[in-house]
Amino acid sequence: MEDMPIPVNNAGQPRRSWQQKAKFQKRLFILLATTPAFGGYILFTLYPNLLSVYYSLLNWNGIKEPVFVGLENFKNMFQDKYVWRALWHNVLYMATIPPLVIFISLILAYVLGNKGYRLTSIYKVLFFFPNVLSTVAISLLWAFVYDGTFGLLNAGLRMIGIDVGNFYWLGERETALWATIPPAVWGGVGFYFVIFLNAMSTIPKSLYESAILEGASHTTRLFRITLPLMMPIIRVSAIFLMLGVFKGFENILILTNGGPSGSTDVIGLYMFNAAFGTGIHNYGYASAIGMMLFVLLVVVKLIIDRFTANQDAEY
Amino acid sequence: MREKRTISDAWWNIILLIWSVSILFPLIWVFYESLKTNQEFFQGVWELPKKLSWINYKDAWDEYGIGISMINTIYYVGVSLAIGTFLTAINAYVLTRLKFRGRKLMWAVIMLSLFLPGINALVPQYVLMRDMNLTNSLTGLIILDSFSESAFFLMMLGGFMQSLPKELEESGAIDGASIFQIFFRIILPLSTAGIVTVAIFKFLGLYNNFLGPFIYLGDPDKYTIGVAMYQASQIMQYKSDWVTLFAGLMITMIPLVFMYIFLQRRIMEGATLGAVKG
Repeated sequence: MEDMPIPVNNAGQPRRSWQQKAKFQKRLFILLATTPAFGGYILFTLYPNLLSVYYSLLNWNGIKEPVFVGLENFKNMFQDKYVWRALWHNVLYMATIPPLVIFISLILAYVLGNKGYRLTSIYKVLFFFPNVLSTVAISLLWAFVYDGTFGLLNAGLRMIGIDVGNFYWLGERETALWATIPPAVWGGVGFYFVIFLNAMSTIPKSLYESAILEGASHTTRLFRITLPLMMPIIRVSAIFLMLGVFKGFENILILTNGGPSGSTDVIGLYMFNAAFGTGIHNYGYASAIGMMLFVLLVVVKLIIDRFTANQDAEY
Repeated sequence: MREKRTISDAWWNIILLIWSVSILFPLIWVFYESLKTNQEFFQGVWELPKKLSWINYKDAWDEYGIGISMINTIYYVGVSLAIGTFLTAINAYVLTRLKFRGRKLMWAVIMLSLFLPGINALVPQYVLMRDMNLTNSLTGLIILDSFSESAFFLMMLGGFMQSLPKELEESGAIDGASIFQIFFRIILPLSTAGIVTVAIFKFLGLYNNFLGPFIYLGDPDKYTIGVAMYQASQIMQYKSDWVTLFAGLMITMIPLVFMYIFLQRRIMEGATLGAVKG
């Protein structure tokens, strides 16, 4: 929009001053409107992001005088076997959680979107529900499920004749990592299910009708029409999930805090504990890990983009 | 053909049923366990409570500090929500409907946030907040969480505002309204639907925020609900008071359940809206 339209064209002084006043008011409005939010954004978001580059070059526990150590932190990081272990866990999570979430969401969306069962709307509301719960609530809920003595899982297993004693799923090295996957999937499906359901409903019915006329079976229609047309949204979902799993650690922090003996540690949590954990704080080292995460996130995004774009080109 | 269809239908229905049970059962289980006594709970995890011990809820409210943390949460969420939503609305208006020098640059800087993972900024942000004496304070947390630009919400609300006809402002100006009046009297009321959607998502984000309060709040009497529940569950490792913890978890979920029951359509629509834009 240009400046305010002028009501009366009375030429001369009054018009000019009115215009000036409106202009001044507009400037004042823009200034007042944007300063708090934009200023806060620069101060609390952009500035710390820039600062993290500098912090990564320091040896600093947050209290004493910081010491500039150059690339020392990065050198240590590459030799830190715990960093590699945490990254490996990230890889395991990224290989399991996003595919499971997408697979389950797609199935549920397909069934509810194409079969027209009664209760469809109730299912829809129910399936989305975990999405509004907090990570704390979801994690505690699942901690109760996994508990050795009183957990639902062991009680359920006992009912079908498998007695694992008081096996605590989150407390054993062999199972802890795998036990943290279902809560993440459980909490993630609702959102993507609704996204996929919505995407399916936008596919024109005429496509299916002509396919049926040509004798295409249910499966053919699914693999030749539905899935190819949904590929873009599936790709975006995959990227979001992958990046989320890669940098996320809240669920692990609450469920196991990386334990037992580091068997569920992820890189974000390792960084978090280096800065805010119960042990010795090292802000410089934590920032260096943060920088590496930043770079890796960009690389991961590029790789996924490329990888899924190629798949897309088939259709 | 017909028979085949019923068999596959049965399978699909079983899948739907399994997923529904996986969602509902843990929730229902926690609910009825929260009404048992600890003794009943230790005797068996399946049995329904013989007598409903609502006292657990009172214990959770008082002993685990859920009561205080609920008040803290209301303060933190309420104020952040009011300031944050207002700022988002006014910024969306300025950035989508007004032309001024530097607007493109401003958008570009805001869009930058989509590429920042945020995790690397946790430490410098904490030091900054500490230097400003804003740590261990709910008000500090409010400042951190409300004075910010959110590219996501700006796009969502900006898109909504763009769909309003231009003549609205023009006719307002002809009637001699200042730009302040145009925004508050015309644009804001007409954008209510979009603003409510933004507010719902902000509410969910704030109420469920764990990491921020966890990092910044030190005193137990300042905890928000999420941190209070987390700390209660940590104490549980030494003190086997399960049923009270169940009751506490129920209390944290109740506001969300009610909100979801009343606003589920809006929440689901908003979720898909964001996906199309994002």
